[in-house]
Amino acid sequence: MNFERAKDHVLRRARALGVDAEVLATAKRELTLAASGGRVDEISHANQGGVGVRVVADGRVGYASSEALDDASLDWMLDEAIANARLQPARGAALPSGGALGRSDLIGEGLSAAVEAKGAAVVELESAVVTDARVDALFMARYAETETEAVLGSTRGVDGGYRTGYAMLMASPVMKQGDSVKQGWDLDVAKEFHLLDPTRTSQRILERVGRHLGATPLRTGRYDTMFEPDVTATLLRLLLFSLSGKSVAEGKSRLATRLGDRVASDLLDLVDDPTLPDGLASRPFDAEGTPARRTPLIEGGVLRSFLHNSDTARRTGQANTGHAQRSYASTLGVAPSNLILEAGSGASLDDGVIVTDLMGVHAGANPITGDVSLQGLGLRVEDGESRPVENFALSFNLFDLLERVNAVGESLEWRPGGEGMIAAPTLRVDALSFAGA
Amino acid sequence: MLHTATAESVLAAARRGGADFAELYVERWRRRTLRTIDGEVEEAVSAIEQGAGLRLFFGTDVVYAYTNDLGDEALNELTQTLVRLRGARGAVDAGGAGGLDLRRRAAAGVHAPSVAFESLPKAWRLDRLRELDAGARVDASIRQVEGRLLEWEQDVTVVNSEGTWVDDRRVRTRCAAVVIASDGDQTQTGHFGPGLSVGLELFERFAPAAIGERAARQALVNLRARPAPAGTMPVVLGNGFGGVIFHEALGHLVETTSVARRASVLTDKLGEQIASPQVTYVDDGTTPHGWGSSEFDDEGMATERTVLIDRGVLTSYMVDRWGSLKTGYARTGSGRRENYTFAPTSRMRNTFILPGDVEEPAELFAGIELGLYAKALGGGQVRPGSGEYNFAVQEGYLIRDGEVAEPVRGAMLVGKGPETIKLVDAVARDLTTEPGMCGSMSGSIPAEVGQPHVRVTQIVVGGEA
Repeated sequence: MNFERAKDHVLRRARALGVDAEVLATAKRELTLAASGGRVDEISHANQGGVGVRVVADGRVGYASSEALDDASLDWMLDEAIANARLQPARGAALPSGGALGRSDLIGEGLSAAVEAKGAAVVELESAVVTDARVDALFMARYAETETEAVLGSTRGVDGGYRTGYAMLMASPVMKQGDSVKQGWDLDVAKEFHLLDPTRTSQRILERVGRHLGATPLRTGRYDTMFEPDVTATLLRLLLFSLSGKSVAEGKSRLATRLGDRVASDLLDLVDDPTLPDGLASRPFDAEGTPARRTPLIEGGVLRSFLHNSDTARRTGQANTGHAQRSYASTLGVAPSNLILEAGSGASLDDGVIVTDLMGVHAGANPITGDVSLQGLGLRVEDGESRPVENFALSFNLFDLLERVNAVGESLEWRPGGEGMIAAPTLRVDALSFAGA
Repeated sequence: MLHTATAESVLAAARRGGADFAELYVERWRRRTLRTIDGEVEEAVSAIEQGAGLRLFFGTDVVYAYTNDLGDEALNELTQTLVRLRGARGAVDAGGAGGLDLRRRAAAGVHAPSVAFESLPKAWRLDRLRELDAGARVDASIRQVEGRLLEWEQDVTVVNSEGTWVDDRRVRTRCAAVVIASDGDQTQTGHFGPGLSVGLELFERFAPAAIGERAARQALVNLRARPAPAGTMPVVLGNGFGGVIFHEALGHLVETTSVARRASVLTDKLGEQIASPQVTYVDDGTTPHGWGSSEFDDEGMATERTVLIDRGVLTSYMVDRWGSLKTGYARTGSGRRENYTFAPTSRMRNTFILPGDVEEPAELFAGIELGLYAKALGGGQVRPGSGEYNFAVQEGYLIRDGEVAEPVRGAMLVGKGPETIKLVDAVARDLTTEPGMCGSMSGSIPAEVGQPHVRVTQIVVGGEA
């Protein structure tokens, strides 16, 4: 696409009109292949991209975007953004200044394999899953890849671009044993197609779903508890609301006044690292051109920083951490990149419950108060033996729970989360209350 | 937007690649959103959206791809990618070898606006939303007024391998008020949001202050409402948006999207009495300036007026191209999609119950000892196969001894669409329609729902929890 030309055209014209402008252009290419009955039966292929402009004039901000790159469309876009800004009340906004950020390629030839090979991979995954006699139906088996390209420039000196992407394999089987029926799903994500392994993915999915077959109700009570990495990631997604500088600026974060305080167990270290080599959500700079750097959020349980863009940093009087997020068609927000809860020295359980799945996070969790009441699936561990349990609800407060963590697992799993990726270990918390049978 | 030679080469390449049918959909939108809170601008954004979607049929298997790049090279590459992915080795069709005889048709301007968006400045729009705000300030308990103005212009071209070339233009405007009222104890909301296929003359048909006032009055009614009782009782559904129950729990069940998959309880019921004889249910894509109207559908077929239920008898489904291939029913101009990122499916346009034989809506209340008047409905949920629904009543009143009595809040209507439509025993003459956004497989699209006042002999009413 002619993004560089479009960016230069809009910035030249903005300068001539005497307004500050920032141009963000992104293009996304997606390929999805679904398999059923031993063949690829669903294909979708998409190229979507466009240019967005943020104008700041007299402390007022205006936005507009265009998926057409001809001069007339780009001129309409800039004129609209200026007119939109002029309608606003003055709010003291400013465009951040910056410099040359270069052009980076973070995936190279990682997704360049022939489409036939990708089709073969998803067919292999599908076949391996349905071969298991316990699989009653397969909701989906899918290969998906996404490649994105971003170009950013502003009248205040910012100029940069990068290309990145990832590929994934996922499946969702319905498994049955006697009267017990369980549906689940799992995925593997990698930066390069050849790092995916359909056999490994199918085995993991069958193990993760199959271990819940024959589950019995859990008796109500207090149990020592381990959260599997998948569940830890769910909790971190919930915590992100309170770590967002936007929530702080809007007065919605419960942690707003706690910088420098102990807010979690001293075993917990949380960091966001967009510079991680081969990180799935790594990027050289954020949506405003702030260069990427590692940001410790919680160190030894002490709250060190929130995630900020230039606007939330200005409104809260804190440092900009380079976590601006937006697409060409959206307005400015905040998002993590690679959010990592550091691994610990290990966690184990002799008697208690391993929580493997939490359902209904959208309805059963209040991100502002941290109050959580969710249905779960898990494994009951007694005398070193484990058996599947179901039909229980967990109630806790997220902030209280983080303070009570007393062991952290020694390995990390990567899961998608909140526009970025989350790396999470197993967490152990004692005497948590469960409502069951 | 699209060169003839580009279209021809794309369609020909698709046929050479073994596709039985190829369709190219190209569109360009200009959208503006202006949102105020308490008279100050909260959000003002503008966007050009532009893209092409290519759909190929191999028998009844469908593949779809889309791109923003409308250049010759990009569209041909998209076609090659789809054909390769499909792995077609099919016979070369004669239609791919020679030229296509494209027959061009263009919109006649039936729904064209009279006040174009470009003719008035943004400040004029802000003034209208400030009038809306002022109109809503009817009581000291009004705490917050949100005004929204949406402006959409869409140019569409649909070309296919059967020789269709259609150019359509759709212009829509919608203005909405959301009002929050609070008496310190309770907080309640009111909503009103008229929209049509028109330009800024929308404000000639709906004065901004009146839009604000109507939303405010609804919030105030809810503020003094008492919790609704629970139980099974006669229900009178208000005209206009009251029709959303039948849209969700009946309309979606007669789209071939579900009928062709045999996923609807109304599959194979043509010619059968499925509703009360009082009910004639129509889906009309031709209503002049209707919110869901267009001259052509998104598959390039002229829209039409489709009678779905005639005096209780199921007379037609809503049929798109894929549904027609699967079921054999003739297409009804019902293929719709949100934009180029979606392949079209069978969808509703403007769907309503026709006026009945009860002269005055007041007559519907006569003889009801205790019932519910659901004057306005809010959100709800529906199971697509069975038509099981639950809808919140946004503005409701008890009916006592044949008269509309005190307001109630928190009422929930629960039932099954195909059963409720059989229990309609009286229909008034005051048909009105209102705009909504309808979500389904092919995205979120503008559609009108409507009806006159309708009486249902019984619906389960869930009270406030």
